[in-house]
Amino acid sequence: MPDGVRRRPAGLTGRHREWLAAAGFLAPAVVAVLVLRLWPTLQAVMVAFEVGPGSLPSLANFRFLFADPEFTGSLATTALYSVLVNPIQIALALGLAVLLNQALPAVGLWRTLVLLPVAVPQAVSAVIWGVAMRPDGPLNAAFQALGLGAQPFLTSPRQALASIIVIVSWIGVGYWMTFLIAGLKDIPTQYYEAAAIDGAGAWQRFRLITLPLLRRPLTFVLVADTVANFLVFAPVEILTRGGPQGSTNLVMNEIYNRAFDQGDTAGAAAATTILVLVVVAVVSIQFRLMLAKDDFS
Amino acid sequence: MSAGVAAPERSARRRRRGALPTLLLILAMLAALYSVMPLIWAAASGLRPGTEIFRYLSPLTIWSLLPRHPTLANLHVLWSGPFARAMTNSIIVATVTVAVGLLLCSSAAFALAVLRFPGKHAVFAVMVVSFLIPFDSIAVPLSTLFRGFGLQNTYTGLVLPGLGNGLAVFMLRQFFLGIPRVLSEAAMVDGLGWWGIYFRIYLPLSRPALIGAGLILFVFQWQAFLWPLLIAPAPEVHVVAIAIANFAGEFGVDYGEMFAATSFAALVPMVIMLFFQRYFAASLATSGTKE
Repeated sequence: MPDGVRRRPAGLTGRHREWLAAAGFLAPAVVAVLVLRLWPTLQAVMVAFEVGPGSLPSLANFRFLFADPEFTGSLATTALYSVLVNPIQIALALGLAVLLNQALPAVGLWRTLVLLPVAVPQAVSAVIWGVAMRPDGPLNAAFQALGLGAQPFLTSPRQALASIIVIVSWIGVGYWMTFLIAGLKDIPTQYYEAAAIDGAGAWQRFRLITLPLLRRPLTFVLVADTVANFLVFAPVEILTRGGPQGSTNLVMNEIYNRAFDQGDTAGAAAATTILVLVVVAVVSIQFRLMLAKDDFS
Repeated sequence: MSAGVAAPERSARRRRRGALPTLLLILAMLAALYSVMPLIWAAASGLRPGTEIFRYLSPLTIWSLLPRHPTLANLHVLWSGPFARAMTNSIIVATVTVAVGLLLCSSAAFALAVLRFPGKHAVFAVMVVSFLIPFDSIAVPLSTLFRGFGLQNTYTGLVLPGLGNGLAVFMLRQFFLGIPRVLSEAAMVDGLGWWGIYFRIYLPLSRPALIGAGLILFVFQWQAFLWPLLIAPAPEVHVVAIAIANFAGEFGVDYGEMFAATSFAALVPMVIMLFFQRYFAASLATSGTKE
């Protein structure tokens, strides 16, 4: 037994020494968790509920927030954005994963090129796409060459959110694809061989083998992508600042504006509390997925 | 079945098999082209005089994509201006984050994977969940705290939030669990303490996991935008992402210079990612999606 071997030279003091060692090894990370994550979260919650000496928690900030059409508008925009961007990105990532998992010539090269935008800082990608989408930019030049006419893109309240979706999808799809390719590689090829012998077509093989066996990585990507999209900030701040007419005022931009342009610390804290609650709910699902195949329990 | 019927059927099937891979290959190439086209255009525009960025767009020709009169003038201007400072700042912040962050994350992972102590499950769960609270969601309240500590416009303020990373801890712990216990038991009999076991056995054996975790830490810092915007607004501590966003917001910006700057900012992580691609893929695979 490994336990017996370990205990013999050290004894009881050895076990206590091990506890002490654990405390030492963990201390920096525990301090980091406390100071960098839990303290600011607690701080935001306390400011949001106006917890202080001699005062009872109050919902006033939340009432104020939900009475403000700018905030409710930003929630609606974030909801619309999430409903659109997540299915689009996951469908594209899945399609690309299946495509780039085939035995094609130079497939590794295509895969790397599709992943390349992930490495570029979001702020940089936003700047590049911002210039590309200008009225006199190359995208409109291409649209006109194809006879589609010039488009306003980021300057139109009807197209700005769609343009942001195009940009963040260009950035992120390759990243999510990588998780799905790893999942595809884990599906035993015998399943496909057996299905081919039984005469299953490509669509049947995809629906009856690939999709069910890809459920775990797909769920993971869905959850992680949803969180990432809740937090999109750089493209909005750089390209539209929430406009035109609030059409791209996603919740992170709303919190930032509230805290720094309007100096509404309490409102920003209340909005942060709501965001953290939603994100923690989604992340705990993610955590359970990560632990599902873990050897800890 | 006669051979006369089977033969055309077989050749038809072969033809279909011939057409499908070609179609798939074209699709794969189109996806790759769509992914790199904006980057190529940006890099090429960095080699153009600022006045030529929008000049060759109509009608579309090869000169819409490639520079007609390539010049290195933009690069010279950049390296003598504030952008050089931003690049240095970014490299310092990222390097310190990776070095200190690896030490912090791997020592925590070592305790969680190897040592036995009461409350281990709870510590692990609390740590990973709190690190999984995405940093950006609490960046605004944290920046208020940091300003109170006097960390505004300091490297320390920029580096600190990047040090602890739940994914890096999780990944390293997973790797450490795979290292046989007998190794540390033997070392202990030989008189090596826990610190020695961590430093001389676990770290040297964990190169791939350390590179993977290092990449996670690096990418976090190189991507950061909201945090430096909040905590380091002074020009002396601008990082690359902020410098470029400011470029874009300037009135009468020289687009040639701006694109040269974007190329530099994109090139550093791309080279690192391509160099360590194998480890990068492996690090993604360990984040729990593998059956």
